[in-house]
Amino acid sequence: MLRRNICNEAGARSDGLMFVSVLFITAFTYIALTTNPVYTGIGVGDRAPDLSGQVWDGSSWTDFDLQDNIDSMWSEGDVGTYYMIEFMDTNCGACIKSASEITNQQSKWTGDNPTRSMPENVTVEFLAVSISLREGTEGWDYGQTEITDFRTEYEHTFGYMDDHDNDNRDEWGIPGTPTYFLVAPNGIILYATPDAEQGLSIWDAMDYEIPTGGVM
Amino acid sequence: MELDANTQLMFHWIPIVFGLFLMSPLGEGFGKILSSRWESLDTVRGRTLGGMIAVMFGGFTVSAHTLWIHNKASEMGGGQFCSADGVWDCSSVIGNSEWNTMPFIGLPWGLLGMMAFALFLWLAISIAKEPSATWVSSNLSIGRNFGILGILMIFYLIYAEYEIGKLCQYCTTAHVSHVASTIGFFRLSKMYGGSDWSNSSVITAETESKERRKRGGYVAPKNSSEEE
Repeated sequence: MLRRNICNEAGARSDGLMFVSVLFITAFTYIALTTNPVYTGIGVGDRAPDLSGQVWDGSSWTDFDLQDNIDSMWSEGDVGTYYMIEFMDTNCGACIKSASEITNQQSKWTGDNPTRSMPENVTVEFLAVSISLREGTEGWDYGQTEITDFRTEYEHTFGYMDDHDNDNRDEWGIPGTPTYFLVAPNGIILYATPDAEQGLSIWDAMDYEIPTGGVM
Repeated sequence: MELDANTQLMFHWIPIVFGLFLMSPLGEGFGKILSSRWESLDTVRGRTLGGMIAVMFGGFTVSAHTLWIHNKASEMGGGQFCSADGVWDCSSVIGNSEWNTMPFIGLPWGLLGMMAFALFLWLAISIAKEPSATWVSSNLSIGRNFGILGILMIFYLIYAEYEIGKLCQYCTTAHVSHVASTIGFFRLSKMYGGSDWSNSSVITAETESKERRKRGGYVAPKNSSEEE
């Protein structure tokens, strides 16, 4: 009398599973060993999201795109620019308070003769991104004039981006202002306020992360 | 010498074209030639399964390659890992951070493709090894349903390509494999229970025993008298 052979049925499934598992593990191992993906985000070690818009440089509004100023193949020792990015609101008390501090720091890091010693091939740029925290609230005024006036009042020499439509704020997921980021020339975030240890400011991080000395 | 991405893509097309040929009526003669080595290819069911396995293998490798490109693009922050030639530009599609992962889940599409083709391969290989098993019907049903689900996802990805304004040749290769595999599952389902399936089962059961004996492998007893 013929009867069904249960063992062969199970064996066929196990054989198939074995083959597929070997194939999957081999492919996955190869990919894991030959690639090192960096994900886009606003944490330390992430690739900075795109940041684009019109920037007031003191004389005109010009288009700016952070990605155009990033060299993803950059490594330490190459020519490159570190970006200190501040998300701020011209009406927020904490941003107004920190504006004077930034005035002191800009001469240390930016311009033709920064007082901080740096290798010749390294430069630092500041960029303020003016966002709109409370659109429509009385006393909280927004517009490009607000941005240019704020920049002039605190004698800032760096660019101010108009993000009053909050496109970049939403892309970056900014929780509040002021929020600071230090972005390496390859686009990797080295410091982020939301991730920072208690008491570690952006200026401490810049001192630590940006190399010192003459020509490397 | 470094091969460009379009040349590399040809390696994925080799098993896919071979499989499609084997699945088509044109593959009958070719199947008969190969049947001296793999006897099951003498039957329609065997050729369909063999072709499907080849197509799925090509789909799996191209999905793995897509995942590799996705990771590499993320590591290097973009770059030309795929050939960009007019509208065919996989860098713009696989490297596009807005569209290159599954919505909500966030898995790269390449990884999803690898998992889908691994599942398909497991279903097809199991059926090929034991076509008379009790679970064949459920394997075919899983294959059909996942095939349809995958086709819906392909429509979404085609929409993504339309939004980006570029076509990804690697993704399209995986889509072709998926559609061909789904058609294969439907063809097998149509065959299942009919004469094409049962005739081949008889032949296959005999030939499988022969093949196992040739290899010196254990042949499980088929009836109770053999056990005594």
